[in-house]
Amino acid sequence: MSYCVNCGVELDASHKSCPLCNTPVINPKQLEQLIAVPPFPSEKGQVELVKRKDAALLLSVVLLSTAVTCGLLNVFVYKASLWSLSIIGACCVLWVFMIPLVIYTKLSAYASLLLDGVVVCAYLFMLTWLTKQNTWFWGIALPITILVTVLAEIMTFLLRRFRFSFLVTATVSFAEIAVLCVGIELVLNRYLHQRFFLSWSGIVLTICSIITIALITILSKKRLRNAVRRRLHF
Amino acid sequence: MPSKRPPLSEKRPKKDWYKLDLSAIVYPTLQRRDFSAVYRLSVTLKAPVDPELLQRAVDIAMKRFPTYKVAIRKGLFWRYLEPNRRPGPYVRPDIKNPCMPMGFQTNNRYLVRFYYYENRISMEAHHCLGDGTGGMCVLQTVTAVYLELQGCFITKKYFVRDVNEEPSPGELEDAYMRYADAGVHPPRVHEKAYRVRGTKEPFYTLNIINGTLSSAETKQVAKKYGVTVTEYFNAVLLYALLQKQEKEWHLRLRPVKIAMPVNLRRFFPSETLRNFITMVYPGIDPRLGAYTFEEIVTQTHNFMRYYINEKFLRGDITTNAATQRNPLIRVVPLFLKDFIVSRFYAAIQDKNSSAGLTNMGLCQVPEDMKPHIERFDIYMGQPFSSRTNCAIITYEDTLTINFASSIIEADVERLFFRKLVQDGIHVKIASNRESV
Repeated sequence: MSYCVNCGVELDASHKSCPLCNTPVINPKQLEQLIAVPPFPSEKGQVELVKRKDAALLLSVVLLSTAVTCGLLNVFVYKASLWSLSIIGACCVLWVFMIPLVIYTKLSAYASLLLDGVVVCAYLFMLTWLTKQNTWFWGIALPITILVTVLAEIMTFLLRRFRFSFLVTATVSFAEIAVLCVGIELVLNRYLHQRFFLSWSGIVLTICSIITIALITILSKKRLRNAVRRRLHF
Repeated sequence: MPSKRPPLSEKRPKKDWYKLDLSAIVYPTLQRRDFSAVYRLSVTLKAPVDPELLQRAVDIAMKRFPTYKVAIRKGLFWRYLEPNRRPGPYVRPDIKNPCMPMGFQTNNRYLVRFYYYENRISMEAHHCLGDGTGGMCVLQTVTAVYLELQGCFITKKYFVRDVNEEPSPGELEDAYMRYADAGVHPPRVHEKAYRVRGTKEPFYTLNIINGTLSSAETKQVAKKYGVTVTEYFNAVLLYALLQKQEKEWHLRLRPVKIAMPVNLRRFFPSETLRNFITMVYPGIDPRLGAYTFEEIVTQTHNFMRYYINEKFLRGDITTNAATQRNPLIRVVPLFLKDFIVSRFYAAIQDKNSSAGLTNMGLCQVPEDMKPHIERFDIYMGQPFSSRTNCAIITYEDTLTINFASSIIEADVERLFFRKLVQDGIHVKIASNRESV
């Protein structure tokens, strides 16, 4: 029988310190506390995941039947052009998007985002093949898709690397909005005017940079961070 | 020759779904990936639990409780419960982190879980099925069947039900609607209360601090202050919260309030096993000045006397029922109701109190069950936001207090138990915390 010298409560024989104040229990005369049965089990439970097999099956069947039906209609009824390929492609893109949600939930977020980027690029390339014009694909679609994929990967990495909080999310979001807007405008200007220059995205960049720098300052100073949290009641 | 008419009970098809009761409507809307409104009841026997026998007892007893052997489903306007004929619920070894989130589509769609550890049987139930009284009936009946399978005879009394008889309609009713008939709808008072700040524990961690006291000793101390045991514990918790708020950095002080469920069966006769509770919020406003412990006790005592009576509680139930009865609200699709209710709860209801406290009171068991039972425990489960919940139950002379929280700091618990020790009550502490 051991008591906490700080709180005055009796402690369970299995405890090596007081759960209320963390004061260690030192009782040289009572070594049996080390072999006492703890009042709670040591195994931690894991929350059972929802099985989404039914949803995955339903989704796959719906997308597959849409693709097959459109393909058959294109071959036998409306034969003027290869219009069904755009629908079949869209079904494939949707199916790939749904993989981490319902089909294979263990897929890593990075791999999933990369796969999404690749499949969107492939779909857009297929559209260029259908329209027989590929300049917009190489000039606009591919660079913007790559930029969005890279930014999504970076955001996932940063949010996983640093402890998730409102401030971190806001910082990363503002920084990425700035980069995305600048990237989109540079790509568009390069495509339309054959040269790189900034106009509207410069304003977005300025505003987002100010907010991001302010947020980074708040995040890096513990006292400031706590003061903001206290005042805003996060 | 006239044809023989079947009796009414045969003619009427057996009810195969249940509306959620007035309280139960709210709990599923609060469901998050990391939160479910789950509570736990435990009984500690005097001998180690045999898992196989316990599984048989659960299988037999659960058939007696049709509103607990259910799955929750979504309708267009409301959720509902439908009988769950899937295998289960299965008993499993106990875990360190009780009251884990309970997905509606996991565990074969059951909303109850049974655990065993050494001499202890634990039951966890989602609050949309029923309150602590209903849950206690299920747990005690399972325990009685378990003991009967071991060869004991148990009288069907108090919380123990006869598994061979059909449940009465009264056990399955939504008792709120029967008593929601006050002439006015008293308005709800909402004021932002002090909120306990702390470092959040990692996902799924629930810190338990269990205090075991002598019931007789506690009653004596409460008597010394001239109040009941519940009022005394409320006052001690308020005292602890006030001290914590004072020590923390604050721009301004806020009122300290406790969310305390009141068992309405005490005031409105009902044998329902579903939810039949309402919340009251005893509190202290430190902006009025510094309160001594004696003043807090008096304030709590007066609050309880004033608010916890049949008239006030009937008005409270009527106010709650008014929203459900409103025809305009009834036709709002479920997803919109979910969105609005969860936002309202997070923004207003949850901020209305600083901590939770429930006292189930004396847990009675049939005489022939007493030699097999050591103690009972109750856990209020994971709090919706970072705070601590306190649940109390008494069996014979053993009074157990279980604090459950998802924050690392145990300041409220420490201040609470230290006050009990200062008042001369012997407290024994046990915990599931990593550091101990």
